Amino acid sequence: MAQIITESLVESLARERAFQLLDKGSAYEILGPLDGIESPHLVAQNIVPQFDDGMIIVKGTLNGQQTVIISIEGNFQGGGIGEVSGAKLAGTLEKLIKECEKGNKIHPVIIYDTGGVRLQEANYGLLSIAEISAAIVALREYVPVIGIIPGKVGSFGGMSLTAGLCSALIMTREGRLGMNGPEVIEQEAGIRELDSRNKQLIWKMIGGAIRHESALADVIVEDDIPNYKEAIKNIWSGEIRLQHRTKQIQNYLSLFKTLDIEKKIMPEQAKEYLNSKTVNMDIELPTPMGDVKSTGSRWFDLLANGQHSISEVPSVLVADTIISGVNARLIAVVPNPDSKYYRARNGEVGLLEGWTIAKYVRQAIEEDKDLTEKRLIIPIVDVPSQAFGYHEELFGIYLSCSAAVDAYATARLAGHPVVATLVGNAISGAFLSHGMQANRLIALNDDGVNVHVMSKKSAAIITQRTIEELDEAAKEVPSMAYDIQSFEKLGALFKLLDGVNAKEPNPEDRDILESAVIEAYNDIKSDSARDLSSRLKSDIARSSGRKASIQVREMIDLQWR
Amino acid sequence: MEKLTYSFPASKMIEQPAHVGVVGSGDLEILIEPSNEKKTIVEIRTGITGFQDTWKKVVERFVSQNDISARIRINDFGATPGVVSIRLAQAVEVSKIGANHN
Repeated sequence: MAQIITESLVESLARERAFQLLDKGSAYEILGPLDGIESPHLVAQNIVPQFDDGMIIVKGTLNGQQTVIISIEGNFQGGGIGEVSGAKLAGTLEKLIKECEKGNKIHPVIIYDTGGVRLQEANYGLLSIAEISAAIVALREYVPVIGIIPGKVGSFGGMSLTAGLCSALIMTREGRLGMNGPEVIEQEAGIRELDSRNKQLIWKMIGGAIRHESALADVIVEDDIPNYKEAIKNIWSGEIRLQHRTKQIQNYLSLFKTLDIEKKIMPEQAKEYLNSKTVNMDIELPTPMGDVKSTGSRWFDLLANGQHSISEVPSVLVADTIISGVNARLIAVVPNPDSKYYRARNGEVGLLEGWTIAKYVRQAIEEDKDLTEKRLIIPIVDVPSQAFGYHEELFGIYLSCSAAVDAYATARLAGHPVVATLVGNAISGAFLSHGMQANRLIALNDDGVNVHVMSKKSAAIITQRTIEELDEAAKEVPSMAYDIQSFEKLGALFKLLDGVNAKEPNPEDRDILESAVIEAYNDIKSDSARDLSSRLKSDIARSSGRKASIQVREMIDLQWR
Repeated sequence: MEKLTYSFPASKMIEQPAHVGVVGSGDLEILIEPSNEKKTIVEIRTGITGFQDTWKKVVERFVSQNDISARIRINDFGATPGVVSIRLAQAVEVSKIGANHN
């Protein structure tokens, strides 16, 4: 007899989802609504908060195995990640790392239902997502980190980068996985690039079915609880082999070097490309015709001290140099007006750039693997955004960014000191991919140095507020502002450097930045932690910038049993 | 966001705290906790401003049917009076039988 009664995950709220998956009677919630840890930043903007901030942590057993499910409530603020919700997810994963280090293997399952950063908390979301990513990369070494994307929201924005880092992804046909939401692409790139109302096309681009058929998701299930449990069991047992996609650099990089997008590629064709595993490494990309200078490239030239870029992709500059006797690798993303990826010509992080960063970071890890003194890695950050485009979404730009995140995090964990220098824009997914995984962040105190998650116009559309209202809110909530002085108030910067000409630097400016980099390098060397915890330990973070982030982590510790 | 608070005398204690709902479009969440104060205190935060009269009627009707000494906190995201009433009834129900998530 056919079973017609199903237990749906898609139709359930986040809390129900977690309890449905765990074995009956085994589960308890950590930091539930009764604890009342809600978002202080929403209240400050007169927005109704939720008692659990839309992030539900439930611990119990699943198929008899110790498991923690972290479930994002997509109905609340589109599942957006703010300071509290982000700290709940990152803090739980960090706790699991500690448990695993003690030999106590507990399985993590993340149920994604999120649009990414919560725009009303902006840079808190960015910091949180960097911490979530860092924790996934570290935790994956002990136990598979499973992501489930059931729908209805799906997984977007910075959170799609964390989904790309998961050991395995389970999706339904109702789930969607992409970096930039269709509405934002239309806003940023125009309706000719993508018509966000063409729902059929969008499902064919980023829906669970095509992501699975394109080898970007591991399992596709019909929406019924036993199916998810079966998939989880098969991942744990090894029956479903882990793909480590973010490490398949040669595959993806050679695909994106050869891809011809002059004529629009249709989803069915893209699927074939993504499945073909032929690696052709002898492709030369044309170098840009003119001499294109950007803030990032000027700083690269100054710091490289005459060394030429060794990178095979013109929009990513890579050079090895010596700074005050310390071996260092510089990496910068720069404009290439001749790039065939026409949505990534102004220094954006796109399909090519993410994978190229990953390649050269991993090259340094490999070359230094037997050395006790690992090379210092310096991302030079001047990135206007990730690339917003049809082909970018179709071919999984999120994964390109995940690959870069993974490489930097892996380098940091391997003992490479990573010091990011913010000399220009440090924006959204581009900053997450290039800079945010550094042990220490240094920024120039200049009006050309901005940190934010989305252009004001797009943010206004998504949050249904006017630009004036956004500016007004930013006065109350520094995480929403774009300027670097506001970002400093969150406590994540190691140093904010005054008196440096950011846009037209001269050798004296270079000397100031270099000595700050060396100071950061020494600070890393004197610190046994290889994670991102220093961002929560600064005076500013503890006294004001990250109070909620710290409190959430302490409470997770207290309620853990 | 508008904050509204109502207080009514009450006599019966509830068994245990309860939480229902979600702060999503057209919905609300309710947290209900036992109180020794012999009062029903209802604290509302709503994103839809200017509906004090409607809230008052909905709450008064609820209190006239449920004598509970409790603190009830509501986060509303545009629920209709019907949805509010159903969620309140659900919260009281859950406070009697337990969340039963397991």
